[in-house]
Amino acid sequence: MAEEIKAPLAGKVISLSVKVGDTIEEDDEIMILEALKMETSVYASADGTVREIKVRPGDSVEEDDLLLVLE
Amino acid sequence: MHQYFKHMDPLGKELKDKVRTRTRENLEALRQAEEEIQAARKTVENFGLSAEKINSRGQLTIWQRLEILLDADSWRPLHMLYNPAENDACTTNVVDGLARINGRWAVVIGFDNKYLAGAWVPGQPENILRVTDLAKRLHVPLIWVVNCSGVKLPEQEKFYAGRRCSGTTFFRHAELEQMGIPILAGIYGTNPAGGGYQGISPTLLFAHKNCNIAVGGAGIVSGMSPKGFFDTESARDLIDAGKTHRAQAPGGVEIHHDQTGFFRFVFEQEEDVLYAMRDYMTRLPAYDPDFFRVDAPKPPAFPSEDLYHLLPLNPKRTYVLEEVLARLVDGSEHMEYRPDDGFEVYTGLVKIDGLLFGCIGNRQGILPNGYPEYADYPGIGGKLYRRGLIKMNEFVTLCGRDRLPIIWLQDTSGIDVGNAAEKAELLGLGQSLVYSIQQTDVPMLLVMLRKGSAAAHYILGGPTANRHNAFTLGTAATEIYVMYGETAAVATYTRRLIKDQEAGKPLDPTVEKMNELVEKYHETSRPLFCARTGLVDEIVDLGAIRGYLQAFAGAVYQNPGSICPHHHLMLPRIIRG
Repeated sequence: MAEEIKAPLAGKVISLSVKVGDTIEEDDEIMILEALKMETSVYASADGTVREIKVRPGDSVEEDDLLLVLE
Repeated sequence: MHQYFKHMDPLGKELKDKVRTRTRENLEALRQAEEEIQAARKTVENFGLSAEKINSRGQLTIWQRLEILLDADSWRPLHMLYNPAENDACTTNVVDGLARINGRWAVVIGFDNKYLAGAWVPGQPENILRVTDLAKRLHVPLIWVVNCSGVKLPEQEKFYAGRRCSGTTFFRHAELEQMGIPILAGIYGTNPAGGGYQGISPTLLFAHKNCNIAVGGAGIVSGMSPKGFFDTESARDLIDAGKTHRAQAPGGVEIHHDQTGFFRFVFEQEEDVLYAMRDYMTRLPAYDPDFFRVDAPKPPAFPSEDLYHLLPLNPKRTYVLEEVLARLVDGSEHMEYRPDDGFEVYTGLVKIDGLLFGCIGNRQGILPNGYPEYADYPGIGGKLYRRGLIKMNEFVTLCGRDRLPIIWLQDTSGIDVGNAAEKAELLGLGQSLVYSIQQTDVPMLLVMLRKGSAAAHYILGGPTANRHNAFTLGTAATEIYVMYGETAAVATYTRRLIKDQEAGKPLDPTVEKMNELVEKYHETSRPLFCARTGLVDEIVDLGAIRGYLQAFAGAVYQNPGSICPHHHLMLPRIIRG
C-alpha cells in the first residue's frame, strides 16, 4: 500500500535525505525544505521503502504538493 | 504528591545511527567552535605571571587557592571571557563562578593575583556587580578570595567613581548582609585603599599571617606631601620615605587581629585559610536537598553527546526542542503544560537532581495548519504568536505561585509582525510577559541555545529584561542581534539604493556598505563577542549545560526565601486536570 508524503507548506527543496529504494522508518527525515526563511526537515509519516521521489533540490513546491511515495 | 513526579511523561527518543551519520558534520563544526572558545578561556586563565613565579614568592595563585577551597568537580565558572572595557589585558582580573564548598553551594569570586597583584581594572566593577547580584538572586553565600592591590592608578578615571563603580561592591556587600546572605573572605597579600575595603566589607574575615588591609597603602603614606610637581630632590625624599614604609606596611595582622579584631581568624599557612573557610561553610544556613526533592535524582535517559547531533549550528536549520530537553533533564521526563495550545513554545515541569523546575523553550519548525489562528499565513517555530504569548504569561505566573524556579531555553527570531499581529495584540502581550516575569519573584536561568533576536530576546527570560535572571549561558551556536544582518542591511540601505539609482550613481559603493554591515553583524553576534561584552555570562560546551543546570538547582533550593509545600502545588494538578 502506497503512502504519499506531501509538502506541509510552500517552499523550496534544499536537499534530499533519502533515495529511491531506501528503507525508512516513521519520523525519519526525508528532505529539507526552505520556507519562511528557515530550513525545515520533512519527516516520513510511516515505515516503508522509497518508491518514488517527485522533487529535486532547487524545486519550488506549494502546500500539499506530492513530495515522495513510500510503499 | 509522589504519583505526579515518580513517573512523569517520557521525553525524546534514542538517536538512530543514520541520524548520527547524517549529522556528523554538525558535530564536528560545533566541536571546533567549542575548541576555539576553550582556547580563549585558557589564554585568560594563564594571563599574567606564571604559577612558578607566584609560588617562588611563597604565595599560591588564585587557581591553586580555588583548587583547595572548592569541592572536586563542582566548579562552574562564569565570566571567564568577560572584558567589557576591552582591556588589553583580556581580563577583568577577577575569577568567579558557582561551586560547592564542603557540600554547600556558593557564589565564589577571587582576585587574580597573577596580574598587578590583583588590582582593580576597568570593567571589573560590572563583573563584580553581576556576582553580587547572583548571590542575591540565588540567596547563597558569597565567598571571596581577596588579594587586591587596589586601583590600577593610570586608569582610575574609568572605574573609580560613578553609579556602577568599584565602590559599588561595598554597598552590595552591605545589601547582601541586610538580606541575611553571609559573605566570607579569605584575605591574602597587600590590600591597600580599595583593596582594604575589599577586605573589610565582607561578613567574616579569614586572614593569612602576611596579609594586611588598610585605608591607604605604603605608597600613599610615603607620598603624602607632594609639592605639586616632582624634581630630583623630591624623588630622593620619596625613595627614603618609601623604604621606611615598605618595611612597615600599615594594617597587618598585629593590628587587625590583635588590636581591632577585624580579622576573626589568622592562619600561618595559605592553605589553612582555605581549609578554615571550607569548615565554616557547614555553619551557614542550608537545607538538605531532600527537603525539596520531589523524586530521587537520576541522569537523563539519553547521552549529552547527542546534543551535537540535535542542535544545528546553522541558524536556519530547525530541530526538535523536546529532543534537546530530553538530554538535559532527569530521566528524560516531563509534564507538559497546555500541549494543545501555543504550539510555538514549550512549557512544562522538569526535574534536575530530583528538584522541580518550570521550563520554557522555543519550538522550531513548521507549526500546525491554521496556526496562528489570527492570520492567513503559516506559522513557524522560533517566532512568537498570540497563543504562545498567553500560554507563557500563564505558566510564568503559575511558577511564581508554586515557587518553582524557571529554566528558559531561548532560540527565537522574534515576535510575529504586521497588521494581523498588531490586531492580535502581540505588542501588548509581549509587554504583558515582561510584567508577568517581573511579578514572578523566582530565580531564572536562561540558556541561549542559538538565536536571540528582536524584542523576543528581551521577553524570553533575557538578562536585560529580567531582574530575576540569575545568569545566562550561551553555546557555540549562540548568536544575539536585533535582527539578521541581511535584514538590517536592507532596512538601512534600501532608500539609499533607490536614490542612487534615480541619480544615475553606481550602486556598488552602497552594496559594499551593505555587505560590510552584514559582516559587522556577524562579528558582533558570535559567541566570543557575546561572552566578552556580557550578553551572556558564560559560553559552555553543550555537554556541560546539564552541570550548570545542576549547580543552579542545588543553589536555588539550598536556602530559598520562600517555600511552596509539595501538596500545595497547583501546576501538576492543572496539567493532569
